[in-house]
Amino acid sequence: MKSKSFRLLLIIPLVGMFCAGVMPAHAAKIRIVATLTDLADFARAVGGDLAEVHSLATGVEDTHGVPMKPSFVPMMNRVDLLILVGFECEHAFLPALIEASKNPRIQRGTPGYVDCSTGIIPHDVPKSTDHSAGDVHPYGNPHYMLDPMLAKTAIGNIYNALLAFAPQYQAEFTRNRDAYLAKLDAKIAEWEKEAKSLKGVKFVSYHEHWPYFAARFGMDYFGTIELKPGIDPTARHVEQLIASMKAEHVPIVVREPQFPEKVPKRIAQQTGATMVTLPIMPGGVPGTETYIKMMDYIIHTMVTAVQGRK
Amino acid sequence: MKTILISIIIFFVFYSSGFAQTLEERIKILEETLKKQEETIKEQQKLIEDLKAEIKQAKPPEQQTVAQPKETPPPVGQESEKKSTLEQVQEQVQQLKEEVGQVVEAQKKNILSVFNPAIGLVGESILSYRSKGSKETGSDRPGGFDFFQRSVELNLTASVDPFARGYAVINASADPITGEATATVEEAAIQTTSLPWNLTLKGGRFFGEFGRLSYIHDHELPFVNRPLALDRYIGGESKTDGVQLNFLLPIPHYVSLTAGVGDQFGDTPNNVGDFRHFKELNFWGRSSTYFDLTPDISLETGVSGLFNPRTEGRGDPLVQPDGSTLTERRRLLLGADLVLRYQPLRNNQFRSLTWGTELLYSNNNYLVNPSGIPGGAEFNHSVGSFGLYSYLAYKFHRQWTAGFLFESVENPQDNHVQTFAYSPYITWALSHWNQLRLQYTHTANNAATGLRDDDAIYLQWTWIIGSHSHGWQER
Repeated sequence: MKSKSFRLLLIIPLVGMFCAGVMPAHAAKIRIVATLTDLADFARAVGGDLAEVHSLATGVEDTHGVPMKPSFVPMMNRVDLLILVGFECEHAFLPALIEASKNPRIQRGTPGYVDCSTGIIPHDVPKSTDHSAGDVHPYGNPHYMLDPMLAKTAIGNIYNALLAFAPQYQAEFTRNRDAYLAKLDAKIAEWEKEAKSLKGVKFVSYHEHWPYFAARFGMDYFGTIELKPGIDPTARHVEQLIASMKAEHVPIVVREPQFPEKVPKRIAQQTGATMVTLPIMPGGVPGTETYIKMMDYIIHTMVTAVQGRK
Repeated sequence: MKTILISIIIFFVFYSSGFAQTLEERIKILEETLKKQEETIKEQQKLIEDLKAEIKQAKPPEQQTVAQPKETPPPVGQESEKKSTLEQVQEQVQQLKEEVGQVVEAQKKNILSVFNPAIGLVGESILSYRSKGSKETGSDRPGGFDFFQRSVELNLTASVDPFARGYAVINASADPITGEATATVEEAAIQTTSLPWNLTLKGGRFFGEFGRLSYIHDHELPFVNRPLALDRYIGGESKTDGVQLNFLLPIPHYVSLTAGVGDQFGDTPNNVGDFRHFKELNFWGRSSTYFDLTPDISLETGVSGLFNPRTEGRGDPLVQPDGSTLTERRRLLLGADLVLRYQPLRNNQFRSLTWGTELLYSNNNYLVNPSGIPGGAEFNHSVGSFGLYSYLAYKFHRQWTAGFLFESVENPQDNHVQTFAYSPYITWALSHWNQLRLQYTHTANNAATGLRDDDAIYLQWTWIIGSHSHGWQER
């Protein structure tokens, strides 16, 4: 009886392992998980009906604070491609999830590990990663997705990854990519036209999400409410920021919805600036479910805020 | 025995075939990645050349020696437009050069440190005041005012090769009597990263997976001190020298199975004499699962077991208040744990409510010597004891968390001996790497313990320098 039970205990995990080994890496569709919703949007656009895409984030989270849910693990265990922003944007949750997923196809350095920052020259590469500078990203600011021109590079990287994985669908991926890029290019022209009134306008934000956006649309990124990246503002820092904003007539305070409203609102009130709540990824606020809708929202909200002050 | 041998052989056959498949693929992948990087660099060089060419074209012609009729200066607007185009191009080239330079510098940094493991150091200091002396409370720290450097912990981690990752944790903790700190290897293990069939194998010295908190380092606990139940039943952290296998079930729902074997489990190794029998090893296992009840509310549960079929005791015989001695002969520990968490996705860094509970049942068998005299009459006696800890932690700001911990434990040698503890606490995390915690603990011992009730205040300061990774256990 004892040896029968022991054999049973041995057989069950062996059968389980066999099942795990023989289960196909992908069934009819290419299984993709993206860390953030903008990348998921691009993957759907390029992959089309050939891809099944999931996003770890829903859009409302802090990009550095997507929770490490065990429910992500079985999903990541089965995917063919993992698409990420890169520049260590996801360092707070992704490495542990990748390890827990036990999926050799998406480990760092494999073709299934799709780093969308490839080919992007980062802003603000720190000279030192000492913690006195806060929670700096050693490879530069990772929030390049807020520049639609750089988002095109990310789309290109996703396209290349899909092509490498399933070259037999080159025609479909190319068609999908080109169609989406054409749509995006048309929108970029619209945004550049609409955003002309933003040139030279100064603004602050809670976290340093906006340098690429500011560079693209000619805005002056004055500073952040956070003392340093990832470090909450001290009372002294807030007072200094208010004083400098008043001196430099900074008209806009951007509050990202994952941060509390209290401090940005107070700063806006004391400086006479206009506070705007802007998402940093699709789904961050209602009505921004896709990347294009999100950028529409951001540009329109910023322009309305600036023009409303004239 | 035959069955075990055959199973081991089958396992290694599949294991090695898995390796053979991945090695060639990995070399190919690395070659393709290198090729893509070379193409990117070429494209950037071409862009620089194009911009340089544009500047050359935009430059005005050199001044000629032959006198030229004085040109009427162009209207102001046109001249500034010409200049601004040239200036713009020059600025763009300059900016591009700076950016490329930054990237090159970043890559140089990377190249220089490429062989270094990730290194971090954790310091943990505890200032405390206890109302009773250690003789009255049974504490290993003195009563009254105490400053305890509990951890100076060096962490190193790096990839060993494409197939495994290695890490080590070396800790120095101050001795309660001498104050001297001796460095010990808390963990030093290798863990596979590419086994097939959803397996992960860990081997070396590590904290075995039992419950939720037994394998968490002291400074990472959600409160100051390790729960009494874990201290009494496991003996601090679940330290072992052994191997542990983890299996993720290949189903859409998260179910994780872990099984391990090692020569000890806790701070005290078994007394094995000159020959360790198979039954003198420690065997443990854990099964855990997880549910997203809503997008903001989650539940993680687990059951764990530890079995040491035969031991000659852990450490010296346990002297009881009545003078008898107990020598542990068999060790059995069962546990059930749950963590219920409310963490709104939108404000997940600023707000959460966590309820964590673990119930433990210890059933050890002891050889009892009533007289305590070596060689005296002895008999076997099993003791079943329950232990519990339950805490509620409310994070109401990115920096602030308030909590309450309740503990109850029956002594594993005598279940009539019972201790309760109640601990409200508040934590201030100035940053990821700098944290202060203030905790009050009232410990109530029943009469059978022979100990007195105690009130203590703790101020814990934890800091981290260097590398800081968010491991799976931080979820």
